[in-house]
Amino acid sequence: MTDLPASPLVALLVGVPIAFALVSLFFRTEGRARTGLLGSLGTTALAFPAILEVARKGTVIHLLGGWAPPLGILLRLDPLAAVFIGMTALVGGVISLYAWWYFRKEATAGGTSALFWPLWLFLWAGLNGLFLSNDLFNLFVTIEVVGICAVALAVLSGKAASLIAGLRYLLAAIAGSMGYLFGVALLYGSTGTLDITLLGAALTPGPATTFALIVMTLGLMIKTACFPLHFWLPPAHAAALPPVSALLSALVVKGTFYILLRLWTEVFGVSLTFAAGQLIGVAGAVAVLWGSWQALMQDRLKLIVAHSSVAQLGYLLMVFPLIVLAPGVAAESANWLSPAWTAAVYQVMAHGFAKASFFLSAGIIVIALGHDRKSSLRDLVARLPMTAMAIAVAGVSLIGLPPSGGFFAKWMLLKGIFMSEQWWWAPAVLGGSFLTAGYVFMILRLAFAPAEAGQPVRPVPKALQVCALVLAIGSFLIVLPADHIIQFLESTAPFATGVETYPEGGRHGND
Amino acid sequence: MSLWIDSLLAVLAVFLAVRCLLAPTLPQCVFLFFAFGLTLALAWARLGAVDVAIAEAAIAAGFLGVLLIDALRDFSRSRSTGEGGDRPSRVSQGLVGAGVLVFLVVAIEAVWRVPNGGGLTALAADNLPQSGVDHPVTAVLLNYRSYDTWLEVGVVLMALLALFATGGREYFCRPVVRAVDPLLRQVILLFTPVLFLVGAFLLYLGKTEPGGAFQAAVLWGAGGILLHLGGWPVFASMAPWLRHLLLTAGFGFFLLLGFLFMAGGGALFEYPLAQAGLLILVVETLAALSIAAALTAIFAYFNGMSAESAEPFTPASS
Amino acid sequence: METYQIYSLASAVIFAVGLAGIFTTRLFFKKIIATKIMGGGVFLCFVSFAERDALAFADPVPHAMVITGIVVAVSAAAFALALARRIQQLTGQETFPVEEE
Repeated sequence: MTDLPASPLVALLVGVPIAFALVSLFFRTEGRARTGLLGSLGTTALAFPAILEVARKGTVIHLLGGWAPPLGILLRLDPLAAVFIGMTALVGGVISLYAWWYFRKEATAGGTSALFWPLWLFLWAGLNGLFLSNDLFNLFVTIEVVGICAVALAVLSGKAASLIAGLRYLLAAIAGSMGYLFGVALLYGSTGTLDITLLGAALTPGPATTFALIVMTLGLMIKTACFPLHFWLPPAHAAALPPVSALLSALVVKGTFYILLRLWTEVFGVSLTFAAGQLIGVAGAVAVLWGSWQALMQDRLKLIVAHSSVAQLGYLLMVFPLIVLAPGVAAESANWLSPAWTAAVYQVMAHGFAKASFFLSAGIIVIALGHDRKSSLRDLVARLPMTAMAIAVAGVSLIGLPPSGGFFAKWMLLKGIFMSEQWWWAPAVLGGSFLTAGYVFMILRLAFAPAEAGQPVRPVPKALQVCALVLAIGSFLIVLPADHIIQFLESTAPFATGVETYPEGGRHGND
Repeated sequence: MSLWIDSLLAVLAVFLAVRCLLAPTLPQCVFLFFAFGLTLALAWARLGAVDVAIAEAAIAAGFLGVLLIDALRDFSRSRSTGEGGDRPSRVSQGLVGAGVLVFLVVAIEAVWRVPNGGGLTALAADNLPQSGVDHPVTAVLLNYRSYDTWLEVGVVLMALLALFATGGREYFCRPVVRAVDPLLRQVILLFTPVLFLVGAFLLYLGKTEPGGAFQAAVLWGAGGILLHLGGWPVFASMAPWLRHLLLTAGFGFFLLLGFLFMAGGGALFEYPLAQAGLLILVVETLAALSIAAALTAIFAYFNGMSAESAEPFTPASS
Repeated sequence: METYQIYSLASAVIFAVGLAGIFTTRLFFKKIIATKIMGGGVFLCFVSFAERDALAFADPVPHAMVITGIVVAVSAAAFALALARRIQQLTGQETFPVEEE
């Protein structure tokens, strides 16, 4: 691991947003927003050379402080991390632009925007650090950075409802990270290392490893809002300001999912059983059905969208039963691994783009009509045609109709399900799509319905609507480079081989 | 004999944790939590973790304890937790109890049978000469794993911003103007320099012995808090740029230094061996200053929250 | 029985006590304290392994991690406490409203 090519870009992905956040603190509201936007765009721009670097050289690393694991911390930018960082960069960049115009429009919100920018940049740095980290304890620190900043952003509106939802979110997050950290303690005690790669090689099965697997998985599942630990998500995401809801739903929950994926495929290979994968799959399948059903029952747009996040995260969990192989199945013969991984990556991206767009549109509707009850959707096509279009396009991707990114993800998931002959997951995938179609079409039906008379519509800046539409269209455009992305990902070991153990890495400090 | 002391401490810690959560009133709960924290600190001292014991006593029991006591003023039910009426039903309590029991059995088995991984003691000791300091914990905190420490200095700053977010705007509280006992003010004036000196001493000691940035930061923060309580608005009266410089110096300089080394062809936070000792001391000092500043500001904010009943503070909720 | 085992066993018990506390108490204030107790258990676990792996000195890596962890946990707890107080001031509530769902 330590003889891979090193690159300073890896460290910059964490350092640059933090540097901008710190500089922005020295300015008052206006200057802070400018620095914040500049920092956001800079961070987005930085992702491109980083991805190109991976495309050219393969996995690149950065030995922090010059110390190799197990003593030091290793940052690793591999294709999987690069895809997550790229998704964060694109979605985060557009959300930043939206936030810029949103806070100019809603200037009444006082100091809110002054706090938004530094917190958002810290959050972004935390996410990048999370995707890059190869060290379990460092991952704990990054999820705390992400957790504290995410909750702080969620309560920014200062209303009682958002504060209550925020506290619930924070307590769930703290409890989750404590569970995770307990697992880290046991793993360190049993192996004397925290490095993911070294751990994967050194770990032996036993009660301590199994217990670590259980507490870490549960802890991360709380933070990813997996059924049945999703209780905190809908109120928190629905009560936040629109740009914040978008980034919480599209990006933040993906961070802990990413750790879960890494742990299951690279650390816990030895103690995973087929049944464990199936159990996670059940949680995912129930989440898909329950979340979609709940979304159908809500009468406020933001709550519909928030419950839909619970369902869409469920699809991500349904990848686990596919990548944990049944005993006696060799990874070489498991030809469903590639579609399963593709499904996971595409679901993350498609949901990221579509859900961010959805929340941004909801924000536009609140600006225009002052509320987001179902009636606000009436006659949307005439009132805010561009937003109606964004909702329709993002909705199609959420349902999984071709040729959207959501379709590609669900198609690959079904393909993996049938190739591995685990057909029992298929009804949940299809049922989820039908229920999703239910609430999306309900929204669209209202959008074409005539409005009650006498409801004034406040003007909404065009730029806001463009941002939402761009993201919605993005959830389709991601399908175009699918071949390249899959090829790019297949060069990572776990992508092609499922639960994977690494050869022993270097176990030395600095010379 | 020593096994008995350790067993006693362990049982006491568990007992205090249970009592703390079952305490009938919130003040009792807070004081039992204090006691729990101090028992843990003792346990850590027994386990040879003096740095951790100081950090626990100072930050977790001390600083957080002050915040908890300050928060008690707000909670009307502080006389009695009064959970009788809205307790969860017996069935759900039974379920939780059963679940936790199963969890406990699995956890104990896991902890009992943890294989001996050997830790990193030897590796840490071998590389000590290249770290620039002589105290192994300081070497880990500020050299081997300085990235974690850097992020952690940032987390304190983020917590302050998060605190501001609960009120919807950035707000450095002025102390409540009330008649402060002149004698108390004199005592505080006398104590503050002492706290600063002891903090500086602890910071310098960190190079070779237990102590270092965090312990020093708490002492300096305590100085700031005392000044605040004595009626000197440490932060509110500062020029904004100076205030922000103090708050960001640790996190920012740490990063700046990292970028500089990277520009020189090294890795982030890779100290050149010859200057490592000095640079670590500078980084530690600035980090301690920033943490102390953030702790003071956090306390001031808390203190201001309870004063709001007299002089209502309107959060910026549109 | 070794010294470290006493403490690592205690750490598992303390963690479970904190976990039970989060579920059984409804007051914000006590929930926050319960998470801190969970944290205490985790940190005790780290430090007990450090003692087990001691040579000339105890393993410094877990010590450093625990110091970092304590600061992070206190920061998060301070934020939670501020949230709880703000909620209490705005609405008078000290517990989460009974589930609507």
